[in-house]
Amino acid sequence: MGAIRVPSPRGAFRVWQRNVTIFRKYWKSIMFPNFVEPLLYLAALGLGLGAFIQQGGINGQSYIQYIAPGLLASNAMFAASFESTFNTFVKLKIDRIYDAIITTPINAEDVVAGEYLWAGTRSALYGTAFLAVLTVLGLGFGEPLVSSWWALLIPPMLLVIGVMFSVLGTLFTSLIERIDLYAYYFTLVVTPLFLFSGIFFPVEEFPAPVPQIAWFTPLYHAVNVCRALATGPSPEVLWDVAWIVVFTGALALLPVQIMRRRLIG
Amino acid sequence: MSTEAKELIGTQSKTSTLVARNLKKSYDGFEAVRGVAFEVHRGECFGFLGPNGAGKTTTMKMIYGAVIPTAGELEVAGLDVRRCERDIKRRIGVVPQENNLDDDLKVKENLLVYGRYYDLPRKLALQRAEELLDFVQLTEKADSKVEQLSGGMKRRLLIARALINDPEIVVLDEPTTGLDPQARHLVWDRLRALTSEGKTLVLTTHYMEEAARLCDRLVIMEGGLIIAHGSPKELVEKYVSPQVLEFRARPEDLERLRPVVEAVSDHVERTGEALLAFTSDADALMEEVRESGIEVENTVYRQAGLEDVFLRLTGRRLIE
Repeated sequence: MGAIRVPSPRGAFRVWQRNVTIFRKYWKSIMFPNFVEPLLYLAALGLGLGAFIQQGGINGQSYIQYIAPGLLASNAMFAASFESTFNTFVKLKIDRIYDAIITTPINAEDVVAGEYLWAGTRSALYGTAFLAVLTVLGLGFGEPLVSSWWALLIPPMLLVIGVMFSVLGTLFTSLIERIDLYAYYFTLVVTPLFLFSGIFFPVEEFPAPVPQIAWFTPLYHAVNVCRALATGPSPEVLWDVAWIVVFTGALALLPVQIMRRRLIG
Repeated sequence: MSTEAKELIGTQSKTSTLVARNLKKSYDGFEAVRGVAFEVHRGECFGFLGPNGAGKTTTMKMIYGAVIPTAGELEVAGLDVRRCERDIKRRIGVVPQENNLDDDLKVKENLLVYGRYYDLPRKLALQRAEELLDFVQLTEKADSKVEQLSGGMKRRLLIARALINDPEIVVLDEPTTGLDPQARHLVWDRLRALTSEGKTLVLTTHYMEEAARLCDRLVIMEGGLIIAHGSPKELVEKYVSPQVLEFRARPEDLERLRPVVEAVSDHVERTGEALLAFTSDADALMEEVRESGIEVENTVYRQAGLEDVFLRLTGRRLIE
């Protein structure tokens, strides 16, 4: 019992595949809200608030150019967070989908890993669609919102970012008994990350300890990576990528063990 | 270990496919299963009978790996449940007590997606899904949504799902609870078809009729222990006399009748409105009652059954 359980890739793939099967049936209705939301932020803040921000914008970019890549990162966070909280909770406690799966050769640990992968996939899918829209919108405005070929690396990066937020969301899910407790997760974790990770203003220019605190939070690095890839990165972005990979790797097996204990008596 | 338990294990034969010895499970100090031993032979239908909370479901869950035993041994298809969970799960099928079909998938898709969990090739899964839908008489519902199925249909779909990997052993936790009589008979019929195919069935139930009809051998559990074991016939012979007379009368008449009946019966029980007398000579008993002159409104004669054994062993009080 005490041994640390490591998921099997085959089992995780089968769980991922189940989610893909269902997603393919309902993808239009599932994707629509996630897709529209960042466009609303872009319109309200990028165009609305952006009109009042002085010429010269931030770091030589207009305000809408500044926030667009950050919204790619936060969109991935929201997609993976919903997947690993409400959706996972329903499968765990309401529909009891996991109870059925673990009577097959797939173990509880594979289920969790499959859900990580699926959340990452969903983040990448949304991100790709949103990236395409940003590119086209940029052409329409005459000021590019995506200006580098490096942006092609954004979708795979969003997959990694999605997995990272899935690990965090699943950790919270593994610890709660009631679905209404997610209000705490979204109000105290997701929303502050969304507001203070450098999407809407550069946190680096605030006095200590604001930039130092930001460095310890996950979305900050995801925003840095997306912004760098959208405009042409410097090598420093590798630190942010490394932060994301190390953070995700260090935490990934913890929800696996807790969820296993919830599923196996 | 009790002598009864030793007797039950016997000498482990090659035909056994499920063997438990001194199996225990406790949750935070509560002992759900307190040391049970049983042996299920290949190709038989083996039942676990008992009131709610007797430890039946916990025992089933230990067989299919959803609960890990606290102590003791449990081998399924010759494999240790603690070390070979994936291999065991590959070789068994499970019909859980609560419906956990995938509502986001249609009827046939439920079987196909489940088949992927066993790595079945797509063509084979499709072929089996169609055969199984036919087997459980759901072919017409193949493209329906799960939520449109009746309770009996969902249960049959769960049975079909448990068979997608062509398992050696099928574990069924209360397969007919909550079903109407027609649906129940259809499930029984399908389960008998499975045993005639040579599959081993392990099931829990609290319907005596179900146990008597389906099980070759069974155990009765109470309070986490096995309190009796044998074939339905053996249990009836061992624990109750073959004939039962049920007398109904006014309460005061029943009280007067009781000593008369007790004098010539093997065992007498009083329920709310009746007196039950177990005997091997019902005619002699009837004669005594008639001679006593006590007014009896209604007398029912019947053969003793498993329900009598069950109630004798577990008591008539309500167990929660």
